[in-house]
Amino acid sequence: MTNHRVLLGATLALFAAACHASKDAPTAAAAKPATASAPASAPAPAPAPAPAPAKDTPTTPAATTPPHYTQAATNSSLEFTFEQAGAASTGTFRKFSTVLVYDEKNLAASSLKVRVEIASVDTKDQERDDLLKGSDLFDAAKYPTATFTATSLTKRADGGIEAVGKLTIRDVTHDMRLPFTLKPTAAGFLLSGKSAFKRLDYGVGQGEWKATDSVGDEVKISYTASLVGSRT
Amino acid sequence: MAFRNTTRAWGSLSKAFHWLIVLLIINQWWIAERAEDLKGLAKLQALAWHKSFGMTILILAVLRLAWRLMNPTPDLTAETKPWERTLAKISHVLLYVLIFAMPLTGWMMSSAKNFPVSWFKLFQFPDLVAPSEQTFRLMQDAHHLLFSGLVCVALLHVAGALKHHFIDRNDVLKRMLPFGGVK
Repeated sequence: MTNHRVLLGATLALFAAACHASKDAPTAAAAKPATASAPASAPAPAPAPAPAPAKDTPTTPAATTPPHYTQAATNSSLEFTFEQAGAASTGTFRKFSTVLVYDEKNLAASSLKVRVEIASVDTKDQERDDLLKGSDLFDAAKYPTATFTATSLTKRADGGIEAVGKLTIRDVTHDMRLPFTLKPTAAGFLLSGKSAFKRLDYGVGQGEWKATDSVGDEVKISYTASLVGSRT
Repeated sequence: MAFRNTTRAWGSLSKAFHWLIVLLIINQWWIAERAEDLKGLAKLQALAWHKSFGMTILILAVLRLAWRLMNPTPDLTAETKPWERTLAKISHVLLYVLIFAMPLTGWMMSSAKNFPVSWFKLFQFPDLVAPSEQTFRLMQDAHHLLFSGLVCVALLHVAGALKHHFIDRNDVLKRMLPFGGVK
């Protein structure tokens, strides 16, 4: 008997709860669409901004941390030109990497880092390559990498961009300006820039190679990097 | 001494071309011999001179050939035998070919090694071939072989001139001497 009473009581309580819920339900259901359709009821802006902010949520913080672009495996080149016995001679570094942090609207927070593997020097002549890697010039064994680091970018008057950064070769660091352009590509950007530095400022030329009558002091750089990243 | 050639005598310009090229070739051989034992910067400098003088020979060869075609060539003496004429003709043609071929193969050696050629640091010649170790070796062998050929033909040329002077006792040698020769 007691059991039946309890059951009856429980059933009644359930009914009451159900009735109460069913009374509240329409209110809740009405309230939710109301908040969602509040902007939606304004016909034009509703459909677009509604999904867009949802998708763009990750890029909102990216306004403070601009997107990163890294160098693709192909279509990049780092060429240098120097005067040798009166003739402009060229060589390349086959291995180098680039990281560009870039926000067109926030160049101050953008940056460029290039890292070059000295041992990958290639002047199409083994004897000269060995000489360049040797202790009198780059000393690749002791200083295996050269770097260029710019912690901010600036806009140039001609519309291009300029990285004012630090070039480090043989552990010697000096400022270097690298004006460059960015061409949008399917995967990111194609960065092209040219600059120059004086090799003796960095100690690239010891002993007899300090002389500049046969091998010029100025070295011109032509740099192209195919960059891929999360461009939006 | 006339500036232009006649059918009997070489003019001063032809003589200048002849002897200037002779001196430059001897100088080239001397620099090349010396450069082989050099290293580093000294070798680079020696070879830069070798290239500059080599290109000078090439320029002179072009001018000399043009001048030869614009001028009469002095005849050999009437007593010269047909085989001597033929041998002289062949050796002269070969010498002309060699003063072009030597600098051209050297120029290609430089291009193949990606060491472009400058002319006394005044201007730079374009590269003739793409950088390639294989092309370099081929041109190097050709350059050395052609030099051996040049030495042989030049010796024959000198022997012929000496024969004209000491055996035939004609003025074929004298007429090419810088300040001598026939009127």
